Amino acid sequence: MELLHKEDKMSSLISRNYNLLPVINRFGIRLGFKEKTIKEICNDNKIDVDFFLAIVNTYTDESYFPEAELLSFSPLLLIDYLKNTHKYYINYVLPKIERLLNQLLSSCTENCSSLKMISSFYQKYKTELLLHLQLEDEKVFPYIINLFEKRELNADGASIEVLENEHTNVEVKLSDLKNLIIRHMKPTYEDNAMNEFLMALFQFENDLNDHARIEDHILIVQVLELEKELGK
Amino acid sequence: MKENVFIVHRSEIIRRGLALILQDYFKMEITQLNSAKDLSSFSGINNSIIILIMDAGGDQNSKAIDQFKKNNDVYLIGFYSEDEKQEPGNFFDYQLTELSSALQIQKLVQIIRKAGSKTKNGMQDNGELTLREKDVIKLIALGLSNKEIAEKLFISIHTVISHRKNITEKLGIKSISGLTVFAIMNNLLDIEDINPEELI
Repeated sequence: MELLHKEDKMSSLISRNYNLLPVINRFGIRLGFKEKTIKEICNDNKIDVDFFLAIVNTYTDESYFPEAELLSFSPLLLIDYLKNTHKYYINYVLPKIERLLNQLLSSCTENCSSLKMISSFYQKYKTELLLHLQLEDEKVFPYIINLFEKRELNADGASIEVLENEHTNVEVKLSDLKNLIIRHMKPTYEDNAMNEFLMALFQFENDLNDHARIEDHILIVQVLELEKELGK
Repeated sequence: MKENVFIVHRSEIIRRGLALILQDYFKMEITQLNSAKDLSSFSGINNSIIILIMDAGGDQNSKAIDQFKKNNDVYLIGFYSEDEKQEPGNFFDYQLTELSSALQIQKLVQIIRKAGSKTKNGMQDNGELTLREKDVIKLIALGLSNKEIAEKLFISIHTVISHRKNITEKLGIKSISGLTVFAIMNNLLDIEDINPEELI
């Protein structure tokens, strides 16, 4: 997809990619844009427009790497954004998936043991995901904030690459969950309930991939630069 | 399986030259990249054969390559300039140099394609688990390590690992807890045998 620019209309951003709705909400931007451009709306909301574009373009184009000048904004902004995203997952997405899962379970009348196993596996996945988010919130982000504010490396020498290495286990579980359902599920469920649950999982997987890309393509790049500068 | 070919080299002359030689002989799409850094953008590729011809003297972006390896069959070819010392590679599977002939380059791709089709056929013997694989999956679900499984079934650890690889390829499930759920859903194991709190 074509990249977004400052002078593009904010309304065209949403028409082109409605998945950006929760993203702009995280910046405090809400609907009713009239004819305003991205730049104007960002100014109205006191948002660094380069930062905004770096984020929405990472969602828009998988191969997008912001140019150096676009990386000039403070990583602290980015961390705020990522924390907001975590809250969105915890307070909105996961409860939604669980609601759909419960609907699915209650749609099953007999031979529901497979569905119950899927449900326990989901719980296991959720626990791990929450732990991962917690690790970022409590260890990784504070390390980065400290790095930028005090310009100090970790006392124990652990660099960002060590801290930010644990995406994969969680990703594997979500992929396993989908495959268990798509490839191995016995049809003892109600179709619509299953489809909604499965579609929510796909959507969430996409969200998480985009989220991981923002961390890998923007945040980690900035942190590695600074670690190098500080003599890591 | 789909095939993805990458040529990663600083020199445009080399990139284009290699691509021309390959396309002379094979019908393939080739992605040419200036730097291994850009490989990260392709992390979404899965279920493919990935052939990477890389500048042996440049950056290697092992993170992106590890990501590829998770979901694909990856073949790494190191491209050496003539004066570079060629140590028997632990990173690369195969080697080419600036002086390799077109024939050598083409032969190499044939070898890789053959290797690729072999694993594919192995997977396609109807996708059902063999009895032995069912034994292994049961023991995995019960929480045994590779070493314990090997001892219990009187096979080598190497064989256990190869069974596990085949199981994962057939089922599309990697995690221990995912395999446990599969085992229970398919009555390979009774739910009473495991502690659901712990293992799932």
